[in-house]
Amino acid sequence: MNARAIMNEFAKMRHLRVGLFVALLAISVALMSMYNAFGSGAFERLDDPNDYAWKTLFGGLGMGAALIAPILVAVIASRQVEIEHTGNGWLSSATSGLTPGQMCRAKFVSLGVLVAAATAVWGVVIVGFGTLIGISTPAPLGRWAAYIGALIIINLAVLAFHILLSAKVENQLVCIGVGLVGMFLAIFGELFPAWLAHLVPWGYYPLTVQSDYVGEVPVYFDLPYLSVIGLAVVGGALFLFVTGRFDRQEA
Amino acid sequence: MATIVATENLSKRYGKRTVVEDLNLYIPEGEIYGFLGPNGSGKSTTMKMLLSLVQPSSGGVEIMGKPMDRSTRREHLGRIGSLIESPPGYGHLTGRENMRIIQRLLGLNDQQIEFAIATVRMQGQMDKKVRNYSLGMKQRLGIAMALAREPKLLILDEPTNGLDPAGIEEMRELLRTLADGGVTVMVSSHLLGEIDKSATMLGILSQGRMIFQGTRDELFSAATPDVLIRCDDPSRASELLANSADSRVDQGEVRVTELSERATAGVIAALVSERIAIYEVRRDEQTLEQVFMGLTEGGGL
Repeated sequence: MNARAIMNEFAKMRHLRVGLFVALLAISVALMSMYNAFGSGAFERLDDPNDYAWKTLFGGLGMGAALIAPILVAVIASRQVEIEHTGNGWLSSATSGLTPGQMCRAKFVSLGVLVAAATAVWGVVIVGFGTLIGISTPAPLGRWAAYIGALIIINLAVLAFHILLSAKVENQLVCIGVGLVGMFLAIFGELFPAWLAHLVPWGYYPLTVQSDYVGEVPVYFDLPYLSVIGLAVVGGALFLFVTGRFDRQEA
Repeated sequence: MATIVATENLSKRYGKRTVVEDLNLYIPEGEIYGFLGPNGSGKSTTMKMLLSLVQPSSGGVEIMGKPMDRSTRREHLGRIGSLIESPPGYGHLTGRENMRIIQRLLGLNDQQIEFAIATVRMQGQMDKKVRNYSLGMKQRLGIAMALAREPKLLILDEPTNGLDPAGIEEMRELLRTLADGGVTVMVSSHLLGEIDKSATMLGILSQGRMIFQGTRDELFSAATPDVLIRCDDPSRASELLANSADSRVDQGEVRVTELSERATAGVIAALVSERIAIYEVRRDEQTLEQVFMGLTEGGGL
């Protein structure tokens, strides 16, 4: 991995408002989770022995992530890649020995660190919020850690997809449009068969939801570890394969 | 003089379409090589092949005596500056921030950056965002980025495109300064007038084939200017020559094309024997532009 190229990607983020969009990603999803808990009456049932309040926070996070992450991750990737199209950056970097595939990988690492950090913030803020408002049962930290880990992998898979898409398609409106379609798939993915949800990165948001109502009662769901690990392995391999092809493509 | 760039039967085909064909190009060290040809003649593709950004279909490239291909590209590119297609530069960053990106990527020191900026005379513009630059300033920033690595070879693809006359003259001056500093410059253009004053060697490409390569003087001598004959009866003289040469009356003179020195003597003798009074015989003065147009329209020498 080219450390200089990664440093350059951080330098290119200046004036692009990438930091603002990452902060929005971190805060808006966390706020949505809290709002969902508030609207579901979590404050009245803080001492529920069956984790009612925690379950509503989990449910809110699942909804918030599906609603907000696909579009904001698309915007973040698009802004960082579009500058290469408008600034003749692909060709200019290639003449300095940095191929388009290497540049995409550097973009993934630099943006990935920020997106993963924003996702981790969701967990910290929501668990902190739950503790602060006085939920009497202990925070299910193992479940939180696993879920946040899964969401990091899903967000990174969506990010990788959008970096490749934005690199290939110059018109960034198309890329943002695909992000919107991804948002609908993430929200309504539960309506599709599971095998179909496995085929697109946005399908993993509904697949990994940790809590939802069954009748009138919120219940925990098990995390589909194998599916998430599969996404990481297959997504990672595909990203390396496609960027490898970018490295060999002619200018 | 050592050759810094040499190609051997360099060709590029996309499917059945041949873009560059059997190109044998050589650039002596320290020269300004003007690479000329109409739009679509294969100049940019050739330059990209020299930089190994496009893989040749056949033939090869040698830079500084070593093959240039994917395996050696990285090593070579540290010593080759280039400006291909539109000038580079991230519009949302300042000129200085753009230079820092090149500095970090290539591991250059501050002196190299400052020297490159000073060479293109952009010291006063480096804190402006590139999106607010004029085209000429963007071109100069692009050249500064290429120069910062202190290249032995600089490859510039149509650097005068879109520049006003003052910008073109500035670019010529810059090329001369660079050549004086020992940098070999290859510069392409579809307009001869833009680079013929600064180029010390010319290569002319037409439909992917090199139709001329040499000095300006060699280019003049390669094209045979028309013979103009001033005489007392141009119409009759032209009729007399109609069977043996391509002639016509042009502004009161007889214009005979494609006439060698020996043939010229024969034509004059024939006219004199027909009792036509010859007042003056001379070669038409051609501008380099006319020679260039003649070569590229005719498809070759």
